[in-house]
Amino acid sequence: MKALKIAFTSILIALSVAACSTNQTENKPSGGNAPNTDNPPPKEVELKIGLPGGYDITSKKIIDGFQAKYPNIKLEIEEAPWADFTTKIITRIAGNNPPDIWFQENAVILGYGARGVAENLEPYIKRDLKTEDYAEALFSARTADGKVYGIPHGINAGALAYNKTIFQENKIPFPTDDWTYQDMIDTAKKLTKDTDGDGKPDIYGFQTGNNITLGWLPWMKAAGGSALDASLTKAAFTDPKSIEGLTYWADTINKLKISPSRELAKTGKFFENGKAAMVFLQYSSQVPINKNNPDMDWDTVKMPVGFNGSRFVPMVVNEWMIYSKAKPEAKEAAWTFLNYYLSDEAQTFLSESGASLPVKKTALEAVEKMTFKPGNKKAYTEGIKEAGGTLDENPTWNEWRAAANPILDDIMDGKRSPEEGAKEIQQKVQAILDENQ
Amino acid sequence: MRKQGYWGFIFTFPFLLQLVVFFIFPFLFSLYLTFTKWDLFNPPQWVGLKNWIQFLSRETFWLSLRNILYFSVLFIPLQTAFALILAYLLNRQIAGKALFRMVYFLPVITPWVAGGMIWLWIYHNDYGILNWLLERLRLSPVDWVRSGHWWIVIGSIAVVNIWKGAGYSMVLILAGMQNISNEMVEAARMDGASGWTLFAKITLPIVSPMVYMVMILSTISAFHAFDVFLVMLGDITAVADRNMVPNILIYRDAFMNFKMGGASAMAWGLFLIILAATLMQKKLEKRWVHYE
Repeated sequence: MKALKIAFTSILIALSVAACSTNQTENKPSGGNAPNTDNPPPKEVELKIGLPGGYDITSKKIIDGFQAKYPNIKLEIEEAPWADFTTKIITRIAGNNPPDIWFQENAVILGYGARGVAENLEPYIKRDLKTEDYAEALFSARTADGKVYGIPHGINAGALAYNKTIFQENKIPFPTDDWTYQDMIDTAKKLTKDTDGDGKPDIYGFQTGNNITLGWLPWMKAAGGSALDASLTKAAFTDPKSIEGLTYWADTINKLKISPSRELAKTGKFFENGKAAMVFLQYSSQVPINKNNPDMDWDTVKMPVGFNGSRFVPMVVNEWMIYSKAKPEAKEAAWTFLNYYLSDEAQTFLSESGASLPVKKTALEAVEKMTFKPGNKKAYTEGIKEAGGTLDENPTWNEWRAAANPILDDIMDGKRSPEEGAKEIQQKVQAILDENQ
Repeated sequence: MRKQGYWGFIFTFPFLLQLVVFFIFPFLFSLYLTFTKWDLFNPPQWVGLKNWIQFLSRETFWLSLRNILYFSVLFIPLQTAFALILAYLLNRQIAGKALFRMVYFLPVITPWVAGGMIWLWIYHNDYGILNWLLERLRLSPVDWVRSGHWWIVIGSIAVVNIWKGAGYSMVLILAGMQNISNEMVEAARMDGASGWTLFAKITLPIVSPMVYMVMILSTISAFHAFDVFLVMLGDITAVADRNMVPNILIYRDAFMNFKMGGASAMAWGLFLIILAATLMQKKLEKRWVHYE
């Protein structure tokens, strides 16, 4: 009888301890203290996920894999084309009715963080992630005060892509990882050809980009300049090195004529159609190229070494963010999703989709062995490790970029000199930075 | 209140509600916003007249105003004249009249994106038909929508807007012309009127209320022009200050830079300008509009 009593009491004590510990976990506030995702709460939770670009960008396998693993989290998926999504999301936030979790450009997320829309994920990361398992890009959305407003959807880096057939036809050796910008320009001059004799080139050696990612910023960085200084609070467009970079960039079109003009480039996919021998290409662009031009023989090497002797590999990092005013249980579920997103399984699905490079190191290594073009994926993976850099992003990135863009277009079109244009950009960008201090 | 009046109120209530929610409230709320700093996500902060002073001293706003005034000066009279001529021609006894009416009305129902694409091809520096024609005439090509001269860019865009809008104005004027009784025209003919005299002394005075309406509508639509600039200038984040128009500036400040207060102040400024232009036209109305 006594033994039975002892056994009964022990069971009771064990149950009470278990009950207390469960309560402790459940009562933890979200946000400041990250939830424990090892034991996801069994109760049903609804989670609204926004998928800009739909399943073209977010692999369906990830969503299905998550759903299979966490059946208690009921997903309400809102997918829309990227442009529609980003237009609508602002009014949705203003109306306090956005999804609980979605992703956008890093700079936009930083802006949302500054306005209190994005949840600070730093406590969650600290608690649940082994940061050494991830590429440095995991922290692309970290601000000066240590807050982290997003988890990378993936890394979209740049590399130098080249059309092997054009090189072979001209008996010119393929580019290498050691190439400099000057090597690239010199070769592009040799590859630019007027094949029908009408006085206009039909094959261009290089296609110059007009945007920040693959256009003017890499050229400025290649000359040792930048858009903003290291503190991201001062404009650096009038730095002589920045002007030098802008000059090299615009010269490819206006002086050297090795690249199609901005207007021409708008109407024809030069690299895709075999009309340009080289181009700076973002990783995700291989998806449409492989789909639309499967027979094209092309590959990549690392972004060239700059005029100043150092390399810069531009990276666009879109981020998942959690809405700061979502219900606590939805925030917990959203973090569970992000934790799954960063797992080996989901990162492999992401790599297979080809839409982006993963941030988990193991998955990043696996990408190099994948067989779809470009064959040399190390141009991206090693490029990121060696010299990956984001695009001088800060909370006013969209605003200062919009102020600079039209003047940069004028410089590219040869309507304004780089010196004159840079002066005006400097003034406009600095005014925006000052206003938002 | 009489019983009928009570029921009337009940039946119109949904419309009144809609008017209050979607018109009166936003109208007054945006006026309030002009005195605040609001980023859409956090509560508005009162800043007094700061937004008004800021936009009045902003160079880009004045450039945008210059552009829209120039655009209006081209667009309003040319569209009205074009619509009037088309309506006059299509009101005559000609073969295939229905076909021509449809052809001239077609741009109205063409989506902006499609219409804009066609015009961008016409204006294209290298492939465009306009520059091809100039080349044939041994003239130098023009950078129609990417020129460094704002007046060429805005002028080119005004032409596109005339192409898109003239069909609608034509239908309004045509409706007016079809109300002119045959007896009146015949009587004028018997008195010896023909051609230009018939148009100037009979047709024009009778359709003048329609022409007046077309001008008022064109004025409002000119100041509101947004789609045409959006399509023709391309990326909204890359519109040069020299080509800026108020609506793009307002949209960019409000929804891309989250400066609702400043954007609302500009929107109100624009509203006051449209109001003044319309009142001025109203004042001139008595001089030339003829009501039966």
